[in-house]
Amino acid sequence: MSNEVYSSSARIFKELFDEIGKVIVGQREAVEQMLIAILCNSHGLVESNPGLAKTLTISTISRALDLKFSRIQCTPDLMPSDITGTYIIEEVSGKKQYRFEPGPVFANIVLADEINRASPKTQSAMLESMQEKQVTVGNKTYPLDKPFFVLATQNPIEMEGTYPLPEAQLDRFLLKILMGYPSFEDEKEIVDRYTKNITPTVNRVVSKNEVLELQKLTRDVPVAEDIKTRAISIVTATRAKSEYIEYGGSPRASIGIILAAKARALIKGRNYVSGEDIDAMAYPVLRHRIILTFESERKGMTTDQVVSDILKKVK
Amino acid sequence: MEELMERFLKIQSEYFRRRQLLFILDLISLFSILYAIFVIFQVEYFLKAIVDVRIPINIIQPILAFIIAIIGAYLLHRNDHKINMTLLIENKYPEMKEKLRTAYDNISETNVIVDSLKSLVSSGLAIVSASTLLSTTVVVTKIIVVVIFVSGAAFISFNADKYAIPVDTLTSISETITGKPEDSTNLTIDMVGNPEDIEKAQASGGGNIFAKPKIASIEGRNIDLTIYGGEGPGFEVRDVSQTRDQFTKSAAFPVDVLGSNVSDGGFSDLMKKTETDKKLIQDYAVERSKI
Repeated sequence: MSNEVYSSSARIFKELFDEIGKVIVGQREAVEQMLIAILCNSHGLVESNPGLAKTLTISTISRALDLKFSRIQCTPDLMPSDITGTYIIEEVSGKKQYRFEPGPVFANIVLADEINRASPKTQSAMLESMQEKQVTVGNKTYPLDKPFFVLATQNPIEMEGTYPLPEAQLDRFLLKILMGYPSFEDEKEIVDRYTKNITPTVNRVVSKNEVLELQKLTRDVPVAEDIKTRAISIVTATRAKSEYIEYGGSPRASIGIILAAKARALIKGRNYVSGEDIDAMAYPVLRHRIILTFESERKGMTTDQVVSDILKKVK
Repeated sequence: MEELMERFLKIQSEYFRRRQLLFILDLISLFSILYAIFVIFQVEYFLKAIVDVRIPINIIQPILAFIIAIIGAYLLHRNDHKINMTLLIENKYPEMKEKLRTAYDNISETNVIVDSLKSLVSSGLAIVSASTLLSTTVVVTKIIVVVIFVSGAAFISFNADKYAIPVDTLTSISETITGKPEDSTNLTIDMVGNPEDIEKAQASGGGNIFAKPKIASIEGRNIDLTIYGGEGPGFEVRDVSQTRDQFTKSAAFPVDVLGSNVSDGGFSDLMKKTETDKKLIQDYAVERSKI
């Protein structure tokens, strides 16, 4: 099956983008990065202002990939059991018994909206399921269905009363995806599409098994030694003594860059990882793993600027 | 072995064979140039002054030129073994960029994607040849240059008398650069015996006027002369024009100046010597006369 899926991968991705493009206007880079995170069997963190179609984008992707989608709106009073599920008592044939009612985490694609609003305890329940790909309730463990992808969102404004994810937990997200405002032309297109009676829909492009095959194929994409060395050099450069960086990326970042580059190469129809893939993936992989010094934050520097400087220095 | 690896290794071996040919051509070029320089600058003369060797002096020059040429050719090609063939091919064939090195680095991997990459690269290598990586024009040009240098060196070597810079000129240039010695007339002469003892022997009728045997030399050039005994101080002082019985060839030591053996009328042989040799003999005789 790998051969068939690989030989039709170029067509699959073209159709995917075309189908998603029927609903989502622009945001091509964000859509691509979400697909990359899915192909890498990892998770993504989206940071964007409200109203930029985060939910619509991920739900459209799940429909195109024929995957079960669920949404969790995180609030401060959200409990861990609201995510993982709980036992309920039901009466069957006159007898009362406990039945496990799976929570919204039992889906293929989970949108954890405004995860920074949930309490740390609830966040850890979510993050545990992300890491282990299973849920433990009581003394029973329930494996999650494959593929399993969590897209968590953070609102960059209105941070009062929130619980920002600690750096150790942020590290579990492969990519931090930025969704910006659309261009004027794109916004005009959005208005045209969504102010009429006809609502755009998306059709299924691939099956769940094909998605699993694509995930395996992603890891088969070969990387040249010098490109691998460059990726690792970029990450180790973030750990070097610097006036801008307090803490740099961990080896998870090195793994992340290589994996994400492989997925990007597959999406672009290449059977090898290019230096261009490494450069492109360095930003979403590193932007949430680098902690800037107080001085650089005070000057208004961003992690993307720091990553850009590092990419220029590392050959 | 995989087809990709076979093609790659074939291109690599052809390329390095061409580089070896370039090494030999560079070696011959350098040798020709150096030998010609040695002949023009009469390095043989200076070598004789510096080095006291037993092997024939006319072999040292080419051997020295060869040794320096080998060192030069090695230095020119010392990094040949470090040439990265994948990068070389990728630079020449941009369509292979990143693909070739990825396929090469993952040669032992097998999966559907790597196999497709190897197949693609293997077909790409079919059009790659060593002649495009190391142009035939470069090799041919080097051969022509070598022929010119070798011809030039041979020509100069066979016409050394015409093209060699005279020793006097070289010596004066050297003195100009390094500074003229304080008194060029006070030549260092290694004498046999202590000159003071000669007078002592003359006065007392005895004494040892013979010191440890040593080859006489003037300005570093060995002189082989037999001073005939006679009345008075034991030798006859003769003018340089008086050549009768002045020189006898010694069989014991290597000589730079051969005796003329004028007893059989070999004066004309003496006159055939180079000006340098004649001046040397004259200087020695003059110095001996001062004792």
